[in-house]
Amino acid sequence: MLIGIDVGGTHTDGVCIRDGRVEAMAKVPTDHDNLLATITEALCSILKDCNGAAIRTINLSTTLSTNSIVTGRTEKVGMFVIPGPGINADAYALGSQYHILNGCVDHRGAISAKARVDQIKPMATRCREEGIRVYGVVGKFCTRNPEQEMAIAEALAPQADFVTQGHRVSESLNFGRRISTVYYNAAVWRTFNSFADALEQSLRNLKIQADINIVKADGGTMPLKLAREIPVQSIFSGPAASVMGILSTSAVTEDALILDIGGTTTDIAVLLDGVPLLERDGISIGEHPTLVRALKVESIGIGGDSFISSRDGQLRVGPERHGPCMAAGGPAPALMDAMNVLGHSSFGDRERSAKGIKEVAMIQGLSARECAEQAVSLAMDILKKKVNAFLAAINARPVYTIQEILEDRVVRPASIQVIGGPAVAMVPLLEETFGLPVVAPQHAEVANAIGACLTRPTQSLVLTVDTSRGSFTVPGLGIHKTVKRTYTLDEAVHDATTMLRAELDRQGIPAEDGDIQVIQADAFNMVEGHYTIGRNIRVRCQMRPGVITTLVS
Amino acid sequence: MLTAKTSLGIIFFPAFDWAISPTHPEREERLLYTQDQFREEGLFDIEGIREYRPLIAEEKDILRPHFCFPGVKSVCTDSHFISAGGVIRAAQLVMQKERERAFAVVRPPGHHAMRTVHGSRGFCNINIEAVMIEWIREHYGNLRVAVVDTDCHHGDGTQDIYWHDPDVLFISLHQDGRTIYPGTGFPSEAGGPKALGRTINVPMPPRTSDEGYLMTVERIVMPILDHFKPDLIINSAGQDNHFSDPITNMNFTAQGYARLTQMLRPDIAVLEGGYAIKGALPYVNLGISLALAGVDFSAVQEPDLDREKIREQKSTIDYLAALCDQLPEVYFNPRPSDAVRESGYFVRRRSIYYDTDDINETQVERLKDCPHCPGLLIVESETPKTPRCLGLHVPVQGCDMCSQEAEERFVKSRQAGYAHAQLSDRVTKRYEYAK
Repeated sequence: MLIGIDVGGTHTDGVCIRDGRVEAMAKVPTDHDNLLATITEALCSILKDCNGAAIRTINLSTTLSTNSIVTGRTEKVGMFVIPGPGINADAYALGSQYHILNGCVDHRGAISAKARVDQIKPMATRCREEGIRVYGVVGKFCTRNPEQEMAIAEALAPQADFVTQGHRVSESLNFGRRISTVYYNAAVWRTFNSFADALEQSLRNLKIQADINIVKADGGTMPLKLAREIPVQSIFSGPAASVMGILSTSAVTEDALILDIGGTTTDIAVLLDGVPLLERDGISIGEHPTLVRALKVESIGIGGDSFISSRDGQLRVGPERHGPCMAAGGPAPALMDAMNVLGHSSFGDRERSAKGIKEVAMIQGLSARECAEQAVSLAMDILKKKVNAFLAAINARPVYTIQEILEDRVVRPASIQVIGGPAVAMVPLLEETFGLPVVAPQHAEVANAIGACLTRPTQSLVLTVDTSRGSFTVPGLGIHKTVKRTYTLDEAVHDATTMLRAELDRQGIPAEDGDIQVIQADAFNMVEGHYTIGRNIRVRCQMRPGVITTLVS
Repeated sequence: MLTAKTSLGIIFFPAFDWAISPTHPEREERLLYTQDQFREEGLFDIEGIREYRPLIAEEKDILRPHFCFPGVKSVCTDSHFISAGGVIRAAQLVMQKERERAFAVVRPPGHHAMRTVHGSRGFCNINIEAVMIEWIREHYGNLRVAVVDTDCHHGDGTQDIYWHDPDVLFISLHQDGRTIYPGTGFPSEAGGPKALGRTINVPMPPRTSDEGYLMTVERIVMPILDHFKPDLIINSAGQDNHFSDPITNMNFTAQGYARLTQMLRPDIAVLEGGYAIKGALPYVNLGISLALAGVDFSAVQEPDLDREKIREQKSTIDYLAALCDQLPEVYFNPRPSDAVRESGYFVRRRSIYYDTDDINETQVERLKDCPHCPGLLIVESETPKTPRCLGLHVPVQGCDMCSQEAEERFVKSRQAGYAHAQLSDRVTKRYEYAK
């Protein structure tokens, strides 16, 4: 028996699934000041219908880290960065204790200037005096050679409860993003770990002995034990839970568009051959881009509660929301009210909807029906325009080989999958607007919790080998060793997938054949003068994002 | 968060699946470390800098500046169409004002490709700058364009294509041709009879470093640009003046390139040569990109830079200072042309060697001495493999008379015994081969 809980901005949803069937559902209000109480409440509500002892895993998508960052309730972090030459590292400064150290690693992983441990002494003292107990250490190109980061982290260890190192949070290149990823990881570390402790205690009290996984923004999960080390990976998991919810309720294998229509906004995401598309580098926290892998999701200001008004003689819909729609007792007419007037929906108090729309219609010199029609068609236009721009940007993404340019793989959605409150009512409108079949899966109202429940763990691994230098680096596992000069791409692919499988085993994540996917396997001849001096090999593999099972319909 | 003062589009196309041969300098690996550097520096996270994908150029784009014999497909592979499409994308971004500046970091390069193409010279088949400029002039009218070629090798291909064009100023700064491929690019090469002083060659002594190079740009290039007042400045941004380049002998640095770019303020920069792919390109490309975008580049530096070791000798600076005194004269007071005139046409007889493909071409070029326009260009060309080729080019400023004469010659080309004939009429926009 599997449990999925998605903590959302307003509601927390929970489901219990056995043998592909939803056995119980719960919807409780979210108390952001006491998430544990909210989660326990949702759990207890589900357990009324299910047997706690039979629960195998609990997957949790939580706003805990996101909220503590957004509300500024984070811990002070001492940052030590080793930039070497390049873009001025002041540009990435975060926090009051941000120290730039000497030292330089180049793109090959060669150290041309060493970061000196004695250089940090006065800075470390200042941090200690400020009472700082968590630290971040980030070097440029540390994923090619983590030695310097490790040395500085070791030197900080005696005064630290926790040190985050750049090469352990992401295997991707991007120094500035790595700095913010490390910073936020350290900043939420204590909050997340106290929460994890309390959660485990609370489950013990409920006599539940289940594996706990945390949902990540890339649509996968990670075991709680790993999440304790890299809590930053738990941010912005909500949209991912919804997308995975759709994959759990209907087996999509072609290109598809996903619309999660809420009160204020609609989130757009895309499936490529049924697999959700990821952000190229990672998600942004406010102004700070990070290396946290995330599904590519764009929010647009159209939802069921989008405010309808007449300004300067022009009818407008959204992007703002003035409370719920009138049908739900809100103060101002909104998109859902127009839908009610047109008979697309019969939600809440239809009389109030009619009254609200009529007021706007009078200003416009229209009948209520005309006004509602115009408002709905305006909303559909905005939606269509934004979706097209979203797809155009994806289709214009840079590629780096002649083969890819000639193939020109264009994303062409064959269907639209919709979830969210107003979604079902909008199906016919969306079909007309986009000329595509629109599907609202079953249990659309708790699709996010179903997604959290059924999504599988994801994990990726990057191996970089330079046979001319004999270097072999797997930053994610902290491996940096030497390799023979005759090492080949085939060996690299074999080693990378074997290491990933071993790592998954270590974490207790079951992986079947075919779950491990090689995303990149390149070998470049390295030439000096007129002689081949070695090969630069890059292998990237991952545990494919996906769901454990799809629901039995 | 970093913000660009000038918005910049970068067309980054490393062609990871294309090489001239496995150990050739033009191989898959060439831009690999530049990509690593761009990614690690987060170049595309800077507000105002965006990455774009190249277009695929069409045949007519290639045929505007070129005569390709026996046909376009026989001298161009997919890689060339894409690299040409990359620079067209750069031009689009700037001309449609989506970006203030653009940088085409694409390969293969192009500045050794002359108007007539039988194959590859100096790793170049198609002159991508010329393809771009002619695309711009086709769509936006005859703009005044300045091309400043800062590759270490003389841009002999671009010089050849704009030799007779008074509206395109070509300035090439390079290592002295007496010491390096292609062995040309002397101050006496100053443009054809209708475009005197529109070709400027600045040969620099080996081991010129930042001080000498930047002085030369400041004292020769900038005053000429100020006077010419181009609508567009294009920089052929070869990176082989770098102190670590394996096939040249100059001592320029990434800082030097960035400062050069800052001074030149090109609208569009195009990568040309540069084969120190590990030690130079990652830093030079970063320096140029930041300078184009108006972002602080002061901390960009090669990890192994030793300024004292590469500083130029006093004699080098003295030599360059003398050059700076004399060279502007080529533009401001060009010597009278010594072009040979035969019955109404200026004639050049040449033999051209294609080093990359080992082809010997012999060529007779005739430029009509037209009172109304820069004149119809007629090229008779042959190689042992492809004999009896005729190319007819009516310039973008061309007159009806020249256009008409081109048409007549084109129609009669088969009769006249040519095996291959190509018309490239910029006035009627006809780009075709005789059937």
